[in-house]
Amino acid sequence: MPRRTPSSLNRSSTTPRHRQARWGVSVAAFAVLAIVGTACSPVESSSDEAGGDQTTSTQDVFGEPADAAQVKAGGTLTVALSADPDKLDPTLSRSLYSRYVFHTMCEKLYDLGPDAKIVPQLATALPTISADGLSLTIPLREGVKFADGGTLDSTAVKVSINRGLTLAGSGRKSELGPITSIETPDPKTVVIKLSKPFAPLTAALADRAGMVLSPAAVDKLGANFSTAPVCVGPFKFASRVAQNSIKVVKDPLYYDAAKVHLDAIEYRIITDSSIRSANLRSGDAQVADSLSTQDAPELQKDSNMTVLQSQSLGYQGLTINIGNANGIGTPTKQLDTPIAKDPRVRQALEASIDREALVKSLFNGLNSVACSPISPKSEFTSDAAQVCPAHDPAKAKELLTQAGVTTPYKVEMITSNNPDSLRLAQALQAMVKEGGFELVIKPVEYASLLDQQDRGDFELLQLGWSGRVDPDANIFNFVGSEGSQNVAGYNSPDVDKLLTDARQSTDQAQRIQLYGQVVTKLQQDDPLIYMYRQRNLTGVSKTVLGVQTYPDGVIRTAFAGLAK
Amino acid sequence: MRRYLLGRLWQSLVTLLLATIVVFLGVRALPGDPALALAGEDRDPESLRAIREQYGLDDSLLVQFWQFVSHAARGDLGVSIRTGESVTSMLGGALPVTLELSFLAIVVASLLGVGAGVVAAVRRGRPAEWAANALALLGLSVPNFWLGLMAILYLSVALGLFPASGFVPFFTNPVDNLHHLVLPSLILGTGLAAVIMRQTRSSMLDALSADYIRTAEAKGLPPRAVIGRHALRNSLIVVVTIVGLQLGALISGAVVTERIFALPGFGKMTVDAVFQRDYPVIQAVVLVTATAYIVINLLVDLLYSVIDPRIRVRGEA
Repeated sequence: MPRRTPSSLNRSSTTPRHRQARWGVSVAAFAVLAIVGTACSPVESSSDEAGGDQTTSTQDVFGEPADAAQVKAGGTLTVALSADPDKLDPTLSRSLYSRYVFHTMCEKLYDLGPDAKIVPQLATALPTISADGLSLTIPLREGVKFADGGTLDSTAVKVSINRGLTLAGSGRKSELGPITSIETPDPKTVVIKLSKPFAPLTAALADRAGMVLSPAAVDKLGANFSTAPVCVGPFKFASRVAQNSIKVVKDPLYYDAAKVHLDAIEYRIITDSSIRSANLRSGDAQVADSLSTQDAPELQKDSNMTVLQSQSLGYQGLTINIGNANGIGTPTKQLDTPIAKDPRVRQALEASIDREALVKSLFNGLNSVACSPISPKSEFTSDAAQVCPAHDPAKAKELLTQAGVTTPYKVEMITSNNPDSLRLAQALQAMVKEGGFELVIKPVEYASLLDQQDRGDFELLQLGWSGRVDPDANIFNFVGSEGSQNVAGYNSPDVDKLLTDARQSTDQAQRIQLYGQVVTKLQQDDPLIYMYRQRNLTGVSKTVLGVQTYPDGVIRTAFAGLAK
Repeated sequence: MRRYLLGRLWQSLVTLLLATIVVFLGVRALPGDPALALAGEDRDPESLRAIREQYGLDDSLLVQFWQFVSHAARGDLGVSIRTGESVTSMLGGALPVTLELSFLAIVVASLLGVGAGVVAAVRRGRPAEWAANALALLGLSVPNFWLGLMAILYLSVALGLFPASGFVPFFTNPVDNLHHLVLPSLILGTGLAAVIMRQTRSSMLDALSADYIRTAEAKGLPPRAVIGRHALRNSLIVVVTIVGLQLGALISGAVVTERIFALPGFGKMTVDAVFQRDYPVIQAVVLVTATAYIVINLLVDLLYSVIDPRIRVRGEA
């Protein structure tokens, strides 16, 4: 599955509908008992859960590194993944799930720490940036071997970055920015030259763009690198059964092999969230990603489980089609509907959404309110970036009157046709009614949704973004007039200037201030109404130690081990 | 005979070509394309263009179709756009899983269905029949997905009897392989078991009221022999026909079962490919399925002509 994410919801355990469902489940469970004819003990009583929601913890739990004395050597860890990763080629890969696998077998120049700060991985220090911002010098770790026995040096880094810049279909090209050349003054130093300053580059090198591929494997396999990927990592690729499982095994050549406890990790694709949880509880998997906010509280109460959680750096929101008349990639053209023409109508829509209520009632309070593309956990947050327009249906109606729109004003929203997205859409429908809107829900299948979105065939669209460390990657492409995913067709020279300045500035304080100004401007124009931020919920069995998640959403299993 | 054979072969080829065209156009009529599904969140026009170019998606339909047919004729079904793997090797891995699962489901369904059907017929009007009927009703009406989930919750999570997911190839470890397939084949078999049970019951009732049964009873044969050797044997002909007819339904049921138990089968592969608009995989899957159907039909027709000479004669006329 791609990373642009439809909303994922939970069900509140206190609604009458849910009680009905429980009754249904009880009756059905009885029927199954009759079928199997076995005296099964009930899995878990669910009647006492209602109170649990209030006590659900929303603190970040990233997990601890494994204590070598408490884990045994060897064993296979099974991770239940919610979606099949795409190509296992760091240059071509585009899905979040491939990053789960890559972190075990393809290390990067830089990594992310649990505090979302960038730390060296295959590099030995953060890059030295020249005064004009046009040159980055990266010192490399020495004595590092690829899984095929080759030595990692500056030439290998050059080959990998060049591949990201030039390979047909590369997903890294835009992340790498305006690179003009890569120099290798000696085997342990890489110098990247830019045509203009590009602050997000270091963050990009802490993701797939910074993974170093074995030049021998690249030579041998070319564009088919994904069939037998070779990089530097605690594990190396072993096998893949498409759409079903991926296996990596311990790499004895890894420079820090003594820290690796497991023999192998198997990623098993299980798309349904309840079945993923069930696999975790049956012991068939020891780690499960993307728990639903409904399953998480129950697992939190289970003494054999830990639920890791971190707030996503992305968001879920509503995009309004302002000027995407002829499809993305064509010049924007102002649409002739009140919601496209008049920012007051969009502000009215925003004022009629009660984000607090949405988060509490639909997500057990596990997700958090979002009013801007900048997460409060980001290094780039500021007071201006966290301002939140209040829920005020009366003001919404007033704004609609000022805009000369007759109420109820009918707007059509396309959304993904999975049950969770539909529930969110229905909640929104009920909410905005009070503000004078009549929301018509048009559910479409995910690939069709992307198609309609790019063609500009929508009025309102519900979709989210999984988030990146650098705010540029969370804003520029979506609301910059030249942004590759500016599906709103938004065109504001002011915002463009602020974003470009922020992109080219190497002064963090200045960038923070500029992004604050971007948020203020976005809240006036409302091309995208930010609603909430998801929590990355990962279930981990206590039979395994050392599994961690970081704010980038990637589950770290490489240095985990089975408990003694 | 040769003329008949050639005629049937020609018809089969035309059918296959038509099926190929329908699927080829059908998948391309779906909104969205593989480039969009592949790029997902991270898409910029340039990479979309590059992906489309790389996989020839920007060529005319005629060129794309010719590429597909000419490669397929040489046995090359292309590579998956999503994973970059060879479609032929994906099929080679997935087909045996689904075939084994379907075979085991038929075994489960036949044992359960025939057993319950015989009991229902012999114990007509008694609680045993009601119980068998109730089970059949449940088997027919409870969706596989829900049943699978409950089986995982009770038999895997609570009792730990069977694994909740995963697959081990038969030749790697036969015991482990069967252990992993117990739950999936039970779940997949329930629907078919219900159909078999209803069919067995009614043909058994017919058989039990037939004259030869009365004769057998009059000869003093024990009830077990009457039911087993005479009534059941004669009832099974219809049951076997039903099992054959239900094979298609079984394969489509396998789609759901494979998803629940994370089995690397044919059904799961097909559904995932449709969602991801992985054209080469969808085309290959349909091509293989259509070929299988056509070959089986052809063989059956040829068998008919061997068994019944009138068909052959008519074919030559």
